[in-house]
Amino acid sequence: MQRSLGVDDLELWLEEGYPQSVRTAYLILGNRLDAEDAVQEAFLRAWKFRHSLSKESSFKPWLYRVVVNTCNSKLRKEVPHRDRRSDEEELENVDVRDNVPDRIALVNDVMSALRDLPAHLRIVVVLRYYADLSEREIAIAIDRKQGTVKSRLNEARRRLALHPALRSEASNKSISEEEVTG
Amino acid sequence: MTMIDEDELSAAIRGAADEFEISKDATDRILGEARKGEPGLLRFRVPEYFRHQSRALQFLSVAAVFIVLAAISIPLFRGEISPTKNKVAVSGSGFRPVTRNSAGLAAKGLSPAPLKAVTGQLGVIVTGSTTQNAAVLSPKIESTGSVDLTVKKGQVNSSLTKLGGLATGDGGFVLSTQANARSHGTGSFSSGTIVLEVPQHLFTKFVSQVQRVGHATSVLTSSSDVTSQYVNLQARIGALNASRQQYLAIMARATSISGILAVQNQLDAIQSQIEQYQGQLNVMNHATTFGTLTVTLVQSGQAQHVTHQRSGLSKAWHDGVDGFIAGFEWLIRLAGPVLFAALFLGFLVVAGRWTRRAVRRRRI
Repeated sequence: MQRSLGVDDLELWLEEGYPQSVRTAYLILGNRLDAEDAVQEAFLRAWKFRHSLSKESSFKPWLYRVVVNTCNSKLRKEVPHRDRRSDEEELENVDVRDNVPDRIALVNDVMSALRDLPAHLRIVVVLRYYADLSEREIAIAIDRKQGTVKSRLNEARRRLALHPALRSEASNKSISEEEVTG
Repeated sequence: MTMIDEDELSAAIRGAADEFEISKDATDRILGEARKGEPGLLRFRVPEYFRHQSRALQFLSVAAVFIVLAAISIPLFRGEISPTKNKVAVSGSGFRPVTRNSAGLAAKGLSPAPLKAVTGQLGVIVTGSTTQNAAVLSPKIESTGSVDLTVKKGQVNSSLTKLGGLATGDGGFVLSTQANARSHGTGSFSSGTIVLEVPQHLFTKFVSQVQRVGHATSVLTSSSDVTSQYVNLQARIGALNASRQQYLAIMARATSISGILAVQNQLDAIQSQIEQYQGQLNVMNHATTFGTLTVTLVQSGQAQHVTHQRSGLSKAWHDGVDGFIAGFEWLIRLAGPVLFAALFLGFLVVAGRWTRRAVRRRRI
């Protein structure tokens, strides 16, 4: 029988999962504040219903399921009814280190490409290529069949390949690689 | 088909996501909330039973609730849709419905007990005959009738009193009266109905007397001979009485308790049958002792409900209109339960969706 969970366990969850969850939510929602809101709500929700964790095989997809559900809820209820902040405003929050223009361009391109994907495709892409979940884990997280996940991933990759922002990003990269080798 | 390279895509997304710092305060806020206790995120708690059931079981549970509710509501609707059944059962007599002015009268014809006393509006009390030793061979006739009278304006009340007086004068009594005022505050009645019981042998004469009270617009009488049923009942009672006597003789000789009990059982059954037949006999006795006459009074100048004998196209036209109205009434009557069922189903669908959504969220 599973031991009862205490606040220390929540602290552990936060240490291990909070940063990645916020970034996942950010990629899904496209907004930093919404992402932080969603993840806080998701962790509190997960904590409240921690008893259901015993029925899940793994913690990671269970937690992402909460995060995805909360993001979906926000996308459905709040985000469409609010003026979205401009990309420029978003970029003010970007941590500036080296290669600022390149990094800003990268963030812009990726976020633009993700934003143009429908939410159901965006979620699987983010869970697969950022959160690094397997197809089976994604299926648990979004409560769909594994085949559905597979087809959504294929569709998302096909659409991203055609997106002008990522195509330009790829061509820039290939040019810079040629320069290095040349 | 063009597909983006997975590694490139992963690197790009990671690069974009890793570009901002994570707020350190957020985790403290979450921990603070968690320490406060249960966050009130969801006010609706799905019962444990539903939370861990499969969708099929949830559906079955909802279906079971629906069936139980339907089982409760359908008899209620049936009761509303066909109220005339109850009315007929309550009125009990073959005459047009009248307002009884004595509670005991409502049971006339239904209770096997003899009518001991009947009180009318005029305060007449008559004791009904319960004689069993009446002449068996004399014919037993049940007579009923109705008379529609038109009386002068303002004479409805006095005519009702006069009719009551005629009945009591002949040894009968008033079974019920009903007087209707045309408008409030006039002080007089514009129409009325009186049900009279008069001795059988005076029934025909009484009908003639009644017709003289006003102008008769309709007279209808009918009689039926129930002698054979009467004799039959008497014979059955006689046979049962004979059996009863024999059992009593056997009981007198019985020595064991089991024997006495067995005989007593038989006696009880026979006694019950005798009482049942006796009750029927008493009712029949009353019906053949008194004839029932319903008199409807309307003051002159008031429109009467006259039924014309129609034929041909007129009859077909009126039948068609009646049929149309009846169909319309039927539709309106049906609309109530259908609307209820639709609303109920709608509620179930909405509740089902809401529950399903809540359950899915709670499963997380």
